[in-house]
Amino acid sequence: MRFTSRLLLLITVTVAATGAAFGSGFMIPEQGAKASSMAGAFAATADDASAMFFNVAGIAQLRQAQMTGGADFITFDNQFTGDPNDEFSAGTTGVYKRHLFVVPNGYAVLPIGENLTFGVGLFSAFGLRTNWDDPWIGRFSSRDANLKTVSLQPSLAWRSSNERVMLGAGLEYRRLKITLDSNIPLSGSGVNPFTGRIVDIANAHLTSEWGAALGFTAGGLFQVSENIRIGVSYRAPMEVGLDGMADFTQISTGNPQLDALVASQLPPDQPISVDFPFPGIATIGISCTALQNWTFGLDVNQTTWSEFDTLFVDFETTPAASLVRPQNWKDTITYRLGANHRVSETWDVRFGLLLDENPQRVESVTPLLPDADRTGVTFGVGYRRGPWTLDAGLMYLALADRSTEGRSAELNGTYETNATLWFTNFGMKF
Amino acid sequence: MTSIKMLSRIAAALLIASLFAVPGFAARGQADFTRFVALGDSYGAGVSNASINERHQAFSWPAILARQANAPDFVQPLVSFPGLGPELQLLNVLSFPPVIQPAAGSGQPLLLNFPRPYNNLSVPGAAVQDMTRITGASPNVGPSAAQFILRGLGTPVQQALAQQPTFVAVWIGGNDLLGAVLSGTPDALTPTDSFRTAYNAMLDQLVAGAPGAGMIVGNLPTNPNALPLLNTVPPFIVDPATRQPVLGPDGQPIFFIYESGPGLVAQLPPGSVVLLPAAARLASGVGIPPTLRNVPPFNLLPNVGTPLSGAEVLTPDELAAIGARAAEYNGVIQQAAQQRDIPVADIKGLFDRFATPGGMRVGPFTFSPAYITGGLFSFDGFHLTDIGYMFFANEYIRTINREFDTAIPVASLAQFFQDNGAFFGQLIFTPEFEMSREAADSILRYATQPQTRGRVRAAR
Repeated sequence: MRFTSRLLLLITVTVAATGAAFGSGFMIPEQGAKASSMAGAFAATADDASAMFFNVAGIAQLRQAQMTGGADFITFDNQFTGDPNDEFSAGTTGVYKRHLFVVPNGYAVLPIGENLTFGVGLFSAFGLRTNWDDPWIGRFSSRDANLKTVSLQPSLAWRSSNERVMLGAGLEYRRLKITLDSNIPLSGSGVNPFTGRIVDIANAHLTSEWGAALGFTAGGLFQVSENIRIGVSYRAPMEVGLDGMADFTQISTGNPQLDALVASQLPPDQPISVDFPFPGIATIGISCTALQNWTFGLDVNQTTWSEFDTLFVDFETTPAASLVRPQNWKDTITYRLGANHRVSETWDVRFGLLLDENPQRVESVTPLLPDADRTGVTFGVGYRRGPWTLDAGLMYLALADRSTEGRSAELNGTYETNATLWFTNFGMKF
Repeated sequence: MTSIKMLSRIAAALLIASLFAVPGFAARGQADFTRFVALGDSYGAGVSNASINERHQAFSWPAILARQANAPDFVQPLVSFPGLGPELQLLNVLSFPPVIQPAAGSGQPLLLNFPRPYNNLSVPGAAVQDMTRITGASPNVGPSAAQFILRGLGTPVQQALAQQPTFVAVWIGGNDLLGAVLSGTPDALTPTDSFRTAYNAMLDQLVAGAPGAGMIVGNLPTNPNALPLLNTVPPFIVDPATRQPVLGPDGQPIFFIYESGPGLVAQLPPGSVVLLPAAARLASGVGIPPTLRNVPPFNLLPNVGTPLSGAEVLTPDELAAIGARAAEYNGVIQQAAQQRDIPVADIKGLFDRFATPGGMRVGPFTFSPAYITGGLFSFDGFHLTDIGYMFFANEYIRTINREFDTAIPVASLAQFFQDNGAFFGQLIFTPEFEMSREAADSILRYATQPQTRGRVRAAR
């Protein structure tokens, strides 16, 4: 009883705090402070309840009921600089509005008998917010994009009696909501003939209801020798169908004649629908505990971002106005190297390094999501006392400067971004 | 020989080679904008909507080039609004044809007593020979604008040289062509030999007077069809209600009639153009063949059967003659510039891009030479808009960057967003954006019209 009420409390808090954030592509794989402090090199370690995200088989080694809840706190610095040779963007800059993004997670596990463990995880492994500060030259591409997910994952894992083999699987119920906001210029030259200046004529605000889909995850963890473990994990691709509304708000040009023309041609507010794809993630990891009090992990993820070939928002009343944005993303590989050092009975320190490939071809780098290859370094600590654990860490994520090389049809320039992620998780055993 | 020794020899060889390396840029002088002067015609003066006034002078191609290159103290012969030639203004875009009328009143030159020659010595109406001929001293010689721009202080070339220029940008020759376009006959074209003589004389004087200065010239458009002056009014009858061609008994469009020679009347051949100013006369029935005199609705028009004058039309032969002459001028410009190591900005190519089928794509926008809506040409049908002059200036900037190995940023459309409350106060300029005080002042004066806090920031 005590357990379920605590769990419910945790879930309530978690859902309320769900915000949007920032990850390679639009993934946020930092879903547990211990694992994230090891740069996510956790598939072959997977020894806390967040294993439900990193490698679900890992919860089989948890033989005591426990739960953990926490969040990532993400801030970033960014700057867009217009291409000095581009007649649209030269001389301009842009930044995101200041936000602190909070990405929560919560996990609870309950062992059943000697070999089974049941668990429930709640996390937001995908999310995106690119909210450009006005005035923003790229507003005709995107002013604000907000993609939020919440996943609920009941899981079950089994271990062999000799503890050398662990297998697990989970069913992921993922909810998704998207908001896209952009402005519309006068068509053609964009020039108001009365003023000779380019003019915004409307704002387009596309917002979906929450939609949901079911997916799954499965994993295995194998003790291949005394000090070597191998973990494999798979999270299936999904597609979430969304319904929503497109709202068009006319912006006065200052000229009644032009405004009348615009009003006669602006699409009506109308229902929209989207089928939104998510990639699959396959992970193989190895961990080594040969050095006393040290755990080293190396993970490699393949993420099938090629699922994201087109962003297509179907406008149901005026199909000709539908939003079609080719993406043509590529599958990516991420390398994660992490270490956990047990300093004392109560303290751990953790380090990590990750190299994360970005999925975008240069043509699809736009204000909606200007991604770039990332290098991340992490540091963290863990503290244990009785049934309590506290994990905290941080990641500094440097994105390579990403130039559109003059090849964007929407906006040419260079995006510079750096992110700092703070992780914290608080856990208790029962 | 050890690899270390070999490496050091290679390094030495490379070092020596680099000492003798010839700079890859053959253009004379440097792109030093410390004392920048521009020579030209109405395009250089920033004429737009048939008017020279400070609202558009701030966006003349030399002014934009000066700003982008951080040229200090670039002074233009500013004229107050509504300008000399009151500016044409669009009053009604919903009617067909749209209503465009000159603003009331007249502008005044603002800097008549400026104590030195202007940096922008472009004279509306000037042809190539005027660069070494007119001084503005006499109302009877050269275009009238010369009086307040040149002020009797010498020819454009003399006034440029008097400033000991470090960089000279020239675009001249358009009027050697345009006279023929405006008068509807190739007879008004400057003979190529005269053009050659005048162009070389101009460059000779500039090079002799400012041997160390960097220079750039530009070639001329060869496709008169790129101008709304020529591409707006079709050569056949159009139903104003449907805006579709009216078809004759043979199912073909009915071409207008015109005076094909003294006392001769003929139907325009396909491929002809009717000049924009003739539109008003067409509405009264001029140009409509007499056979339609009693056919409704043409029977309501008073002037059916009256031919268009030869000056109001250009036949395919005439267009071809003008295009061919433009190509000859471009040969002259190319040769004259090349002989003196002066780069040539490809304005011909720019106008060809303007006329790209489907439009010229820039960021999210598509520009075209369409009248009123295309964004490039002003209401007079042949002068550019502020944005059109930006593209013109950028062609010069790209050429300078290429030939002088500079990195002057192009001007961008970000300077041309209307502040209609959509984006809340400030326009998008980087702090590095600077302009000459005069340009800033003129933009500021412009800015006092609508509410534009952003322009104040921009000019700071």
